[in-house]
Amino acid sequence: MNHYTHILPRIKRKWLLLCVALLKVVLSALKVDDGKPEPYPLVYPANFGGRFTIPADNPLTKEGVHLGRMLFYEKQLSADNSLSCGSCHQQKLAFSDGRALSVGVDKSLTSRNAMALVNLLWVRNFFWDGRSASLEDQAVFPMTNPHEMGQSLDESVRKLQQTPVYPALFKKAFGTANIDADKIRKALAQFERTLISADSPYDRYLAGTYQPTSQELRGMTLFMEAPAPERGMRGANCGHCHGGPKTFKELFHNNGLDAAPKDTGIEAISHQASDKGRFRVPTLRNIALTAPYMHDGRFKTLEEVIDHYNEHLQESATLSTFLRGTSNEKGGKTLLLNATEKADIMAFLHMLTDTTFINNPAFSDINYSQKQ
Amino acid sequence: MRNIRNIGYRLLILFLSISLLSHAQNTATLSISGEVLTPLELKKEDLASYKQQTYKTKGKEGKEHEYKGVALVEVLEKAGVTLGGKLRGENLAKAVLVKAADGYEVVYSLPELDPEFTTNVVLLVTEKDGAPLPTGEGPFRLIALQDKKQARWIREIRAIKVVFVKD
Ligand code: HEC
Ligand code: HEC
Repeated sequence: MNHYTHILPRIKRKWLLLCVALLKVVLSALKVDDGKPEPYPLVYPANFGGRFTIPADNPLTKEGVHLGRMLFYEKQLSADNSLSCGSCHQQKLAFSDGRALSVGVDKSLTSRNAMALVNLLWVRNFFWDGRSASLEDQAVFPMTNPHEMGQSLDESVRKLQQTPVYPALFKKAFGTANIDADKIRKALAQFERTLISADSPYDRYLAGTYQPTSQELRGMTLFMEAPAPERGMRGANCGHCHGGPKTFKELFHNNGLDAAPKDTGIEAISHQASDKGRFRVPTLRNIALTAPYMHDGRFKTLEEVIDHYNEHLQESATLSTFLRGTSNEKGGKTLLLNATEKADIMAFLHMLTDTTFINNPAFSDINYSQKQ
Repeated sequence: MRNIRNIGYRLLILFLSISLLSHAQNTATLSISGEVLTPLELKKEDLASYKQQTYKTKGKEGKEHEYKGVALVEVLEKAGVTLGGKLRGENLAKAVLVKAADGYEVVYSLPELDPEFTTNVVLLVTEKDGAPLPTGEGPFRLIALQDKKQARWIREIRAIKVVFVKD
């Protein structure tokens, strides 16, 4: 081959090179324009593990995630154009809203506290009672619930179809400008799967790039270890339910908020008496940002939460066996930590705040930033 | 008039059966499903027909307890899981996934349960110290006597699923 190019006259070679270059440009232009959305690479630390499933019919694409982000902040998805998902799930509060209960379009209150949206990729059963099995399913609840966004999916489709922007965005993401409810759900789910928080001081400690203070280290040990007074071991056993690199294990427990709970949690779905007052154990990522706490937002501060586990557990038949009688004193009914130990645990909880996550420009209100 | 009364009766029967149904759901059952020939939905009483075994062993807190139950492998055999002579070839890539009411999950492999492979016993227990397992531990729990750590002594089991491990 090589000796051929040798014998080509100089000028001809130049032309050939030019043609090749031109062909390349044309081809690359074709590639961008082939209408196929580009895969969206998910980046997460290996210690988070790969136990998640992305539905085969809704792979993550850059165009899909972009559309999902637009929709997440789109107020036209609500009956009076006043609320978007982002109203109750604000990035600066790790996608929670700072209220005990949220206000819907009908000005009434939601029955439970708005959950932080963090590392949803690894969640398998959504909501405080785990009643929804996928993000695609989940999104229908807030959109159509009269106490949240209060608009039928048909109406949302109609409104979006009439806008100048959305038909083109749906075409880019899904290959057709015909908007339907299914595609709205899919795009929202795609965006939500990208909400990965993995850069808190605790993550950096696990990655070996952050040296915790001695108080943080003491708090971490107390958080992770179970108390064993007979062996002189002190602990708070939080890690049993809230442990692991993600500080999220998908568990469901009654953590002793009420002796006779008004909201019976997953019992209402499973009809099993042993599920009374059992709720999903939520993630503790960014927990310092997501007050107030618990499914009904009853505790305003983390201090109140620690006091709850330490002194105020309510006994009932379904109180988790991992809390009952777990104590630092022989025969104690609750943890009975001292003031220094409580402060140590607080220090550890603050290690879970991921400022990279709440400032990540990829998650912000795109409609708003474009208006700026 | 008659029609109305008829409808009334029907409604009554409907309500009665609904309340009976929801009552039935209140007794916790254990489902055996997945790669089985006969899926089972077991109540505590259903285990009476199996060979009962008792074991005395120390719990986590160091106290000795007497557990009573049946070999898990016998229940799996009843469901038609590939054990004994059938536990070969691709069936060795199956696992037993055990799920608890709180979402906790553990895995056993079939050879860990099959007496042709091992002398170890994994027991499906329903009684502790002569009484039914308490709420939060029962009605069904596993104890794996050979395990030095008790993390697979999974409490409050709701479901056992035999699955192929897929890579
Ligand atoms: C009016 C306030 C409000 C709006 C608007 C709202 N949510 Fe929520 N969100 C909540 C509340 C309250 C919960 C918890 C409800 C429950 O558990 O029953 C929740 C829970 C969730 C969860 C479950 C998280 C988990 O870890 O299980 C997801 C996901 C979610 N919302 C996504 C969305 C999306 C997507 C939208 C927009 C389509 C949206 N939300 C709009 C209040 C709201
Ligand atoms: C037996 C399991 C269990 C243990 C152990 C446990 N928790 Fe929880 N935790 C839960 C459950 C369940 C909830 C949600 C309860 C609800 O809202 O009804 C929860 C909620 C919380 C919340 C509120 C989260 C939010 O988003 O509102 C915080 C904070 C918390 N726990 C901290 C701790 C700390 C600190 C410890 C150790 C002292 C601890 N937990 C031990 C099960 C547990």
